[in-house]
Amino acid sequence: MVLDLDRCIESLFKRQLLAESVIKEICERTKELLMNESNVVHINAPVTVVGDIHGQFYDLLEIFKIGGYCPDTNYLFLGDYVDRGLYSVETMSILTCLKLRYPDRVQLVRGNHESRAVTQTYGFYTECMKKYGSPQVWHYFTDLFDYLTLSVVIDNMIFCVHGGLSPSIHTIDQIKVMDRFKEIPHEGPMADLVWSDPDPGREEFAVSPRGAGYTFGSLVVEKFLHENGMDHILRAHQLCMEGFQVLFDDQLSTVWSAPNYCYRCGNLASILEVGVDGERHFNVFEAAPENERPSAAEVQRAAMFANGIPTGLFSGVGSNGAMTSSPAAGNGNGNGASSFLTTAGMDPTQDAIHYFL
Amino acid sequence: MSSDSVLQNHHQHREGITTLSHDWTMVKAGTLVEKQTLVTIDAETTVEDACEVLLRGGITSAPVYDSAKQVYVGMFDYGDLMTYILLLLKKMEVPLQDQTMEMRDLIQRTNKSQTVPVKLASDLSGKDPFCTVLPETRLGAVVHDFGTGIHRVAVMDAEGTMKGILSQSSTLDYLMRHLSEYPQLQPIMQKSLQQCGLTNGRVLSVNGEEKVLDALISMSTHSVSSLAVLDDQGMLLGNISMTDIKHIMKNLRTSWLWISCFQLVCKIRLSHGVESGEDQYPILDVNSKSTFGYTLSKLQATKAHRMWVVNDSGCAVGVVSLTDVFRVLSGLIDS
Repeated sequence: MVLDLDRCIESLFKRQLLAESVIKEICERTKELLMNESNVVHINAPVTVVGDIHGQFYDLLEIFKIGGYCPDTNYLFLGDYVDRGLYSVETMSILTCLKLRYPDRVQLVRGNHESRAVTQTYGFYTECMKKYGSPQVWHYFTDLFDYLTLSVVIDNMIFCVHGGLSPSIHTIDQIKVMDRFKEIPHEGPMADLVWSDPDPGREEFAVSPRGAGYTFGSLVVEKFLHENGMDHILRAHQLCMEGFQVLFDDQLSTVWSAPNYCYRCGNLASILEVGVDGERHFNVFEAAPENERPSAAEVQRAAMFANGIPTGLFSGVGSNGAMTSSPAAGNGNGNGASSFLTTAGMDPTQDAIHYFL
Repeated sequence: MSSDSVLQNHHQHREGITTLSHDWTMVKAGTLVEKQTLVTIDAETTVEDACEVLLRGGITSAPVYDSAKQVYVGMFDYGDLMTYILLLLKKMEVPLQDQTMEMRDLIQRTNKSQTVPVKLASDLSGKDPFCTVLPETRLGAVVHDFGTGIHRVAVMDAEGTMKGILSQSSTLDYLMRHLSEYPQLQPIMQKSLQQCGLTNGRVLSVNGEEKVLDALISMSTHSVSSLAVLDDQGMLLGNISMTDIKHIMKNLRTSWLWISCFQLVCKIRLSHGVESGEDQYPILDVNSKSTFGYTLSKLQATKAHRMWVVNDSGCAVGVVSLTDVFRVLSGLIDS
């Protein structure tokens, strides 16, 4: 297949979906590329680090506006590209294309949402079914997720991962020898790297309230940085109302890049710009301006995803019991027992899906 | 070994004159509820308003107080709410001879579409009856009750003043926080779930596609408080429990009774993640090779009431509930 990546990227910037066959091709090629990446990728500054995006496509466009476009700006994405937001497909498609087009300028780390079990629960599977009418695209992307690297080191000084540390991992070398090419397990070092959270109230490891990974404290952070000769840990994974959070005497930061999370949390977001001399600057931003934000109908559909009814997981395409069309501009939270929210309400006149190729 | 026992003897006190206990079974129930803000529900409150009290307080049960008779008449919890809903929807038949006066009154009122005061719905499920202990009652005795399936006890002094509610969850939390003070508990923590006899449980389940209402009926019929939600291959997708009914009552989304169990699991996960800013793992489980101590840590950390036990392929092979935990712990006292 002849693939014009620049045209693909151009279409995706206009939020036009790529054809299923094109998605298949770009995923195949990106897997070949990622196969040769270590579980710990070493890069140099300057680089702009991006936290959780969760399908908030317009806010990703905002990030490119304020951080600069590829390949002029080097980017490191820390995972959680999909689920919850309305445009996980478009978000994942454009990031995959950018990685394929500029492999040395774009790094994609795996987040806890880049997983089959999680995407079936939190919205990505449903979105793929709605936009493509079959689970194929979900399969292509979730197979691709198995190839994403687990961590990145900037200038041998900053350790970047989606979640956090693991009681089983003391050195970078231990991460390098892991087999990452599989679904994220429930337990173990690979699960810990994408699920763990720092706990400023503690010194050591403790079982996490999330049901996977651990919480880790100050002594764990100090020991890890000391043993690996680094001075900072950079991660995402937790919602920050101010867009970022710095802990443990500036030894660890969280960067969060989905403003007004789920279109209702009202939080700020940020991207972290790492300079050549190691300076770290959090560039804070708000949700994308009014005229580029989703319409009221689309936000209501987001609320439907947020209260998700995944369709077609068990039965075939489309139907899952009675499908009633929901009112356009929602009159509150459902009235009475007869009308239950469905995702059947994708109004074709309001959401023109252009298929490319 | 001998040096250990020397150390042990050196630290032993006569329990009666010391405030620092090293025997967890001797801890007084009253001390565990000391700082609790007690929430009670007036007996005349409607069931819907009583539910609101539970939701707002983030609690799963509250004692019901009759201000006219100046006495506590029972507890109201989500199990009672579930029974109430099933009776309301006529999904549950209770033979006339088994109906209490309160139940008959409740059924009559629902038939006439009258509001129901919570005093008729308290202890409706027949499970978790109003169980009281004195503040001086020792934890060893309370744990024995917990091991038989009682989820909570009301700590009430001799004058009838309610001091607080001591639940299985808060007791587990206390023991885990103070684990280092109770070296007697160390050996059991290291044992595997298999050694504790916790991997051969019957897993009561529901297929992800079945309706929530049918799952609730099933729970009521089998007298259990939760079911594993499985896919067609028997893989664990999640969990549906009686307390999930609170999500249905929030915003009165009774329509949620007719969605599939898997859909409900997703909804709950989605809203929990936004509220706490942290998404949880879709399934709360432990591997069958895990230790008892690890399982308790996970129960405490996730605030779950049970952990599904899975084998290496992800299939549910058993369940460890808080009742099971306390049955094991009370077994320690007897031995």
